[in-house]
Amino acid sequence: MGRIKPSEELRDLVYKCTECGNCAIACKFLGNLEPLEIIMRLREKLVKAGFGPMPKQEEYIQSVKDFNNPYKEPHENRTDWLPKDIKIDSNAKVLYYIGCTSSYRRKEMAIAAARIMNEARIPFNILYDEEFCCGSPILRTGELDTFKQVLNRNLDVIESKEIETIVFSCAGCYDTFKVDYPLYRNYNFEVLHTVEFFDKLLENGKIKLTEKIPIKVTYHDPCHLGRNAERYEEWDGEEVHIMPLITMNIPPKPKRTGKRGIYDPPRNILKKIPGLKLVEMERIREYAYCCGAGGGVKSAFPEMALDTAKLRIEEAEDTGAEVIVSACPFCSTNLQDGINSRGSNLKYYDISELLLMAMGLEPEKLKHILSEVD
Amino acid sequence: MLQKQVLENFQKIVGPENVDDSEVMTNAYSYNWCMEFVNSSEGKEPIPFSSIPKAVILPSTVEEVQQIVRLCNQYKIQFKAQSTGLGPWNQPSSENCVILDLRRMNKIVKIDHRSLYAVVEPYVSGAQLQAETMKFGLTVHMPGAGPQVSPLASATSMNGPGFTSPHTGHSARNVLGVEWVLPDGEILKLGSVGMKNDSDWYIGDGPGPSLRGIMRGWAGAKSGIGVFTKVAFKLFPYPCSTKFKLSGNSPDYEFEIPDYMKLYVMDCKSYSHLEKVFLAIEEEEISFICSHLSGYGLGAIFSNSIGSLMDKIPIAGMLVPLVVLIAARTKREFEYKQKVMSKILIDFNLENVIGSKYTPNSLFYAEALRSNLGLHGFIATGGFQSSKGQCDTVKVCVKTTKESIPLKKKYIKKGVIGNDFGEGVWITSYESGHYFHIESPTMFDQTDEKSVKGMAENMEENYQFDLLKHLGAPFFVEGDKMHDLFGPEMMNYHIWLRKIKKAFDPNGIADSGFYISAK
Repeated sequence: MGRIKPSEELRDLVYKCTECGNCAIACKFLGNLEPLEIIMRLREKLVKAGFGPMPKQEEYIQSVKDFNNPYKEPHENRTDWLPKDIKIDSNAKVLYYIGCTSSYRRKEMAIAAARIMNEARIPFNILYDEEFCCGSPILRTGELDTFKQVLNRNLDVIESKEIETIVFSCAGCYDTFKVDYPLYRNYNFEVLHTVEFFDKLLENGKIKLTEKIPIKVTYHDPCHLGRNAERYEEWDGEEVHIMPLITMNIPPKPKRTGKRGIYDPPRNILKKIPGLKLVEMERIREYAYCCGAGGGVKSAFPEMALDTAKLRIEEAEDTGAEVIVSACPFCSTNLQDGINSRGSNLKYYDISELLLMAMGLEPEKLKHILSEVD
Repeated sequence: MLQKQVLENFQKIVGPENVDDSEVMTNAYSYNWCMEFVNSSEGKEPIPFSSIPKAVILPSTVEEVQQIVRLCNQYKIQFKAQSTGLGPWNQPSSENCVILDLRRMNKIVKIDHRSLYAVVEPYVSGAQLQAETMKFGLTVHMPGAGPQVSPLASATSMNGPGFTSPHTGHSARNVLGVEWVLPDGEILKLGSVGMKNDSDWYIGDGPGPSLRGIMRGWAGAKSGIGVFTKVAFKLFPYPCSTKFKLSGNSPDYEFEIPDYMKLYVMDCKSYSHLEKVFLAIEEEEISFICSHLSGYGLGAIFSNSIGSLMDKIPIAGMLVPLVVLIAARTKREFEYKQKVMSKILIDFNLENVIGSKYTPNSLFYAEALRSNLGLHGFIATGGFQSSKGQCDTVKVCVKTTKESIPLKKKYIKKGVIGNDFGEGVWITSYESGHYFHIESPTMFDQTDEKSVKGMAENMEENYQFDLLKHLGAPFFVEGDKMHDLFGPEMMNYHIWLRKIKKAFDPNGIADSGFYISAK
């Protein structure tokens, strides 16, 4: 590092970024700057220099090493979310990867996703005690060595099971598997988020929506599912100097502009729910405002994360919606914290929960299920 | 860093969370676009960093600004105020300076849609204000720097031509009432907002002599004469339907072009012809945009990358292009404007290539309405800045263009600036041709030391050239050196400017690195 040396002061600034990627999108409409990657590399440098990650993040990284999850929860409790009546098929080619947050903190998401697959008669398997943290919370802090260990262990387990498709309800796990894993190790299975998977099931008629849900809903695009869920494309071209100071990539070098994020599947689902009215916020899709929880900020700077969530909730309120919906357990936690802190009348649902209701499971029953796992 | 007592006193004004004198933060604030060639021009290392501010302070009210300025006077610390902060003019010129970052002052105070003006705080961007004024069928003048910058800064403290200048004028001419914290901490209100009774923002002059010229002159004082905390400026009719429908994802947007918009791109083939066509079109007062660009510049405004620029060869090969955008709110108005344009095309033997030889992406129209075309200057070499910047008759602007070509070619040949065949200029009319503006956007590579130094030399030689050829005052006549260079050739205005500086800032507390010192 040049003008300024690594320090705790520098660390505190660098780790305040949620790594939402909005800067990167804005910088690639005309340009090709990669500010998000600069933040990532800066964090890696700080880790190597002994200044990163933040103390709270070090705690959860240690927890992943000790307990396979960042919450210091016993590994043997990982499947406590699983209701007895959910059917798991150990021979299925579809794997549902629950993720730490849905397993321990946002169990309603895991239950809803599993029930939808059961209702749609999609055989699926889970990894039980062979499921570990995906490594996303570690990677985002710049702790690359630990992340690589986690990645290799996860891929070793999954590749031993002849899995064809992995479905994630956690946007963070999904992004990490889809975008980050291939940067270090390739794999041969398909990666889908539940919104993509369920959208397809709706499209081919395997999911039937029978119940009206007459509510006004706004949808929050999670960064991990939206602009950041765009794979890096390989480029085998050449940078050609066509005249002094001007170079050109031949063939054109693909840019991650956020346009291949998963924006339409969740909206398709919501639009198909009878009676539901989708109203959009000002900042959506590749320009969506971050919930504030990403990049380890929720643990290291909880007040900043909460302030950010409150801004997003205010934006959601401005739409006149009664409900804010998303598809990420981190967004779920932080946005619900924002709702509570603001005293907002908005309610939060994961999109799978709404889908489940529209499939005929009454909200009362859903509440019952929630209490069942408390 | 500040002394502990000084820091605590600033903290008392704005709260501890809104003052930062840490090494990391102050270093970050010392970075800005084009600092590298400013440093090079001053014989320093061509790095993109200015002097490091002692601290960064974020006030949220005019009272806080006032108290900060008074404290600066008390401790003999200079201040530099910035709003959206693009460019070296926002940077401190000494180590004894704090930055007032006005980003917390971000309110649209008022939109008076009947009297056609808006009142804003410093950190409101042009795009934000336009989005609100569109609800009333109105638009705002945005400088060529783009919709992301502060219209307050442009109106009070900078130059201010824009792509829509034929319709929306020039920042200096649009400014009305002003709330101004003087360098001694007093508040001065210009125009009708300063009246004791029934004060409002609708006019910028009086009671008594106008101070607008003193406030900003030709190119603004860049915070060298105080801090502007609110400004009113004119609004203009939105030129067409305010429906602004964009679909798709970045960068492949589709824009639903509003009814009654038509683009004309014509090759005038010679500069003398361009001059006549410019005047003929602008005399009819029909254009929303009326700009001459070089062939390269023309290709660039329709391109999102150097790769896509290569597809624009059919239009980039034009000799002396003229771009005209007409827009109307009714069918009748649109038909009238088209008829006028048709007659001009016949009278001047011109062909509109749009729709026949070239059809731009629909997004061009959105960018034109939002005044976003200047950003395309960055696509080739990653950096650009303009030499020239005169505001004059079309004759002088065209003369400047022609006569400057060999000079630009000299630096292109050296390989230090991008190749636009020396013809790369932008000329726009203001206020339907009442006067014109020329600048010479010049591409360089901010990461290449040779290019940065070459760019700095190119700028310096342009200043000398403009003086020698009597081509008027360029944009960047700022700082003592430049004023002392141009002043003697221009009725010794610099002597008066120094008197103003001395009268308003007796302690020299407002950083004058990009203005003038009292000396």
